[in-house]
Amino acid sequence: MIRFSRASVTYPGGVHALRELDLEIGAGEMVVVVGLSGAGKSTLIRAINGLVPLTEGEVTVEGRSVTRATPRELREIRSRIGMIFQTFNLVKRTTVLNNVLMGRLHATPTWRALLSRYRPEDVEIAMQALERVGIVDKAYVRASNLSGGQQQRVGIARALAQEPRIILADEPVASLDPPTSHVVMRDLQRINRELGITTIVNLHFLDLARVYGERIVGLRGGRLVYDGTGAQADERVFREIYGRSLTADDVLEASPAA
Amino acid sequence: MTAAAATPVRSARPAKPRPSLAVPLGVLGFLVLTYWAASEEFGIGFDLPAILGDLTRGAGIIGEILRPDWTFLPATVEPMLETLQMAIIASVIGCATALPVSFIASRVTTPGVAAYFVGRGILNVIRALPDLLYAMIFVAAVSIGPLAGILALVFFNLGVVAKLLSETVDGVDQGPMEAARAAGANRALTIRTGVFPQILPNYVAYSLYVFELNVRASTVIGIVGAGGIGNVLNAQMKFFAYERVGVVIVELFVLVFVIELISIQLRRRLV
Repeated sequence: MIRFSRASVTYPGGVHALRELDLEIGAGEMVVVVGLSGAGKSTLIRAINGLVPLTEGEVTVEGRSVTRATPRELREIRSRIGMIFQTFNLVKRTTVLNNVLMGRLHATPTWRALLSRYRPEDVEIAMQALERVGIVDKAYVRASNLSGGQQQRVGIARALAQEPRIILADEPVASLDPPTSHVVMRDLQRINRELGITTIVNLHFLDLARVYGERIVGLRGGRLVYDGTGAQADERVFREIYGRSLTADDVLEASPAA
Repeated sequence: MTAAAATPVRSARPAKPRPSLAVPLGVLGFLVLTYWAASEEFGIGFDLPAILGDLTRGAGIIGEILRPDWTFLPATVEPMLETLQMAIIASVIGCATALPVSFIASRVTTPGVAAYFVGRGILNVIRALPDLLYAMIFVAAVSIGPLAGILALVFFNLGVVAKLLSETVDGVDQGPMEAARAAGANRALTIRTGVFPQILPNYVAYSLYVFELNVRASTVIGIVGAGGIGNVLNAQMKFFAYERVGVVIVELFVLVFVIELISIQLRRRLV
């Protein structure tokens, strides 16, 4: 469903973020991408929805080329791909509901969205998305009044409101404390299992990756260096991915929550 | 304590940099410039004792202004309202135009490099001309009256609000824009949902601020024939009717003071 073929991204400064990557991700998979910062995790995820264009090779999503899409086609491809961010990327001044309704923009006529007159059925979809992450009671609260964990769940609800086929999560727990990290990761896991949404998550904590990654993809210097199950990924594998011995900074906590 | 700290090794000290010539040269240049501006042979012949001696000359006029002829008050009500109306209309049109212009003139939201530089350029030209000059141009173009005044104020407002607002847009958190783009939104909706809510309080504050400026400016531009209380002020000054000028000045002072008070209160609540 997602296919990278000899995909490379070279940034204007000459940094090679991805080098000739070949990767296939099937429908309904839960994939965790691991690697040090700068290994190309963010670039890989943003290449899937075209926020970062490839400099060589091709990415296809559900058989459609992201690389060769016109702006209109690209917006249509993006409408089926929800995205979750490390820093949540919410409009903090406005309500939780308004933030989640951003996920309905692709289905809303421009004049309606400009006047903020969303259709009742779109508002209902947004409310259901909030229900799924358990914060529908906060719908009319300003986003800035929520805790970090709650803000990230608004981010998840916004992605769900798109009714997506794929969810991309770029370091979704890096700004959260350990217990909240597990809550958010379990939310993502549940969404993947119950709704069958293909989910790709960037993580740098190896314990989280092992617990939640059915499949783990390891990046180092923009190259694919590991592709296997979470169960197979032992310390030796992570040392190989990180290119150094492991330290306490590589795990979220000494003993992961049950 | 480490070994290095116990037996310090004396390393070479860096050479003290030469003192820069920029400061003394700057001071000298400043003094020369001031002398040039004030001197008898090159400048305007600034003479402080003479100015102090002449201070009493205006005493008669100021005395008349300080004894306002309040019977003139009823005649000023209508032009004063006209000034307010000009300020309101000009604020609405100017601020409404400034909103889209500011998105074009911000690096963050501009549709393209060319549009950005054209937008910035036009804004710079608009702001280069003072409001009084706009009033003179529009009085010549559409003849004497409030329309000329409104047009002048619209340009003045556009320049001020679009400049301030585009700089506010430059500083927004770009995360929400990325989220909107990732959700498949086009440029207009990305700005509407990702940027607009962030700048709305500033936009309202700037609009109130230019409304304040408009009430003040519309009295000045009225002097060149652009309608409102400025016309009255100009006429009474020509007749040397300083008791009546005094009435207008007191009225303006109260009006501007009250509007500013309300506006400052509202703005404080916004930002």
